[in-house]
Amino acid sequence: MITNTRIDPNDPGAAAAHPPVATKKKWRRLLRRFTPYFFLAPALLIYGGFVIYPMLDSLMISFTNWDGMAEERAFVGLANYSRIFDDPVAILALKNNLIWTVVMLAVPTALGLLLALGLNRSFKGKNLFRSFFYAPAILPLVGVAGIWAWMFDPNVGLINTTLNLIGLGSFAHQWLGDPNTALYAVMVAGIWQGLGFPMVLYLAGLQGIPADQYEAARIDGAKPLKQFWHITMPWLRETHIIVITLGVIASFKVFDLIYSMTYGGPGQATQVLASWMYFQTFQFFHAGYGSALTWLIALILMVVTIPYIRITSRRSGG
Amino acid sequence: MKTSRKNARLLTASFTVMSVMFLIPIAVLVMTAVRTDADFLSNGVFSIPRSFNLHNFVEAWSIANFSTTYTNSAMLTLVKVPLGLIISALAAYPLAKMKFRFDSAIFLFFVAGLAIPIHVALLPLFVFERKLNLLGSLWALLLPYIAFGIPFQVFVLRGFMKLIPGELMEAARIDGASEFRIFWKIMLPLIAPALATLAIIDAVATWNEFLMALVLLPSAETHTLPLGLLNFFNQFSGSYTLLSAGLVIGVFPLLVVYVMLQRYLVSGLTGGAVKG
Repeated sequence: MITNTRIDPNDPGAAAAHPPVATKKKWRRLLRRFTPYFFLAPALLIYGGFVIYPMLDSLMISFTNWDGMAEERAFVGLANYSRIFDDPVAILALKNNLIWTVVMLAVPTALGLLLALGLNRSFKGKNLFRSFFYAPAILPLVGVAGIWAWMFDPNVGLINTTLNLIGLGSFAHQWLGDPNTALYAVMVAGIWQGLGFPMVLYLAGLQGIPADQYEAARIDGAKPLKQFWHITMPWLRETHIIVITLGVIASFKVFDLIYSMTYGGPGQATQVLASWMYFQTFQFFHAGYGSALTWLIALILMVVTIPYIRITSRRSGG
Repeated sequence: MKTSRKNARLLTASFTVMSVMFLIPIAVLVMTAVRTDADFLSNGVFSIPRSFNLHNFVEAWSIANFSTTYTNSAMLTLVKVPLGLIISALAAYPLAKMKFRFDSAIFLFFVAGLAIPIHVALLPLFVFERKLNLLGSLWALLLPYIAFGIPFQVFVLRGFMKLIPGELMEAARIDGASEFRIFWKIMLPLIAPALATLAIIDAVATWNEFLMALVLLPSAETHTLPLGLLNFFNQFSGSYTLLSAGLVIGVFPLLVVYVMLQRYLVSGLTGGAVKG
């Protein structure tokens, strides 16, 4: 930063040096040209070094047969990518991600919208209720997984105990131990945790609808259901886009709940792309194949995220 | 919206029922945590605890190593959040307020990061940090966490900075203030609300982050809270009362903070999503 002190008019050292006026101006112009880069440098270095470089590195690894440790690695082209389609667990994982996405888009979104519609009215305690339903959203997913693993405990858990109490004991089940129900049991935890976020997004959206819209509809004699479809839903269009996009992104990233509730099991029944990628890369030392799986996740997310960024940045004037 | 008194009462009643059902898991957790194993096993989940004792908490605290994991998570969050925000704000400032070559290209370069999931960086970071012998120290997480926070924060902060009128800064510039001084003394105070919102989002995300910590922190001394919690309930799934006490310790402080900051948190989190 020598240049900086030299041209600083407040710096007594610079005044004492008395550089010729012409060079002083030149220095100042040069400094002004580089000022933006001084501000950008820390972010560019860290972002380049810890996001962009690893990303490209992982792309390179995905074209090799590397195990993650050895010195040598051979280029294998797209073999790791074609292997995904011959790997029944990877296909199952992709299917589980799709099921997860569909359920998470349907259930928490609809429930969140319903809760928001109710909580948008004025009545006693609505702020308290709002914070109740949002509370699980700030908890660590591992904690949520722990709570629900224990609710689903086959012997003393809340679910089976309740079923026995109300005379439906025949439905009592090894929820997390049965390959047919395990994924859905984990989803219950996901829904419980994920309900609050669409709810508050919809609340924010509902508050943006001008009251005179409903006023006018009421004068025209429109019934509440008709008002919902013709006023509320169209006005929530932007919120729907946000909720759906963020829902898809979260569904393809899902890892914490699966890893801590079922560890991908029983068998491989609850593997999702992120967990299978983790096991391949860090447990089975198939670094090349794991990286290909990672890139499958990344590509799916890019397809969803890029149009979304374009929409939101256009809106905020970026 | 206007609601008649009868409807309002109906809403309060139905939301009370729904909230109770929604919060049953938390209630059961607390109830189980304060009873003895014998009481729990002989009387079942729904029975009222016969005794109230805090013994489970004391035991869970030491077994699960909460003093270590809480300290680690707190240190990481306290360093990462302000440092990351300053770095992002520094980058957002010229992108919002200066004209220079490549300005829009650099902005796009940052924004592209919004589409990059942390998953792709895990293995390369693991390999790189193994080489540098950083694995298993909290430093291993600090820079990657900051790096993955940059795209969203630059995106949001640039948007806010663009809304700040340029006259104030122009006046300061004429008075001979340096660009850095203008950034620090004028810009940062003006975007304080946006910084506060981002700080809250970031603190929650950092505190709860699991996947990268799982890969980059192999040793127990540097485990963050989510990792410690997972280890604990993998090892002690036998005693439900102890397990519940551990989970209560693991999640309750967050719930308390949530209750205190509830207003800011909810608006902050949604504000972030709507903006970005």
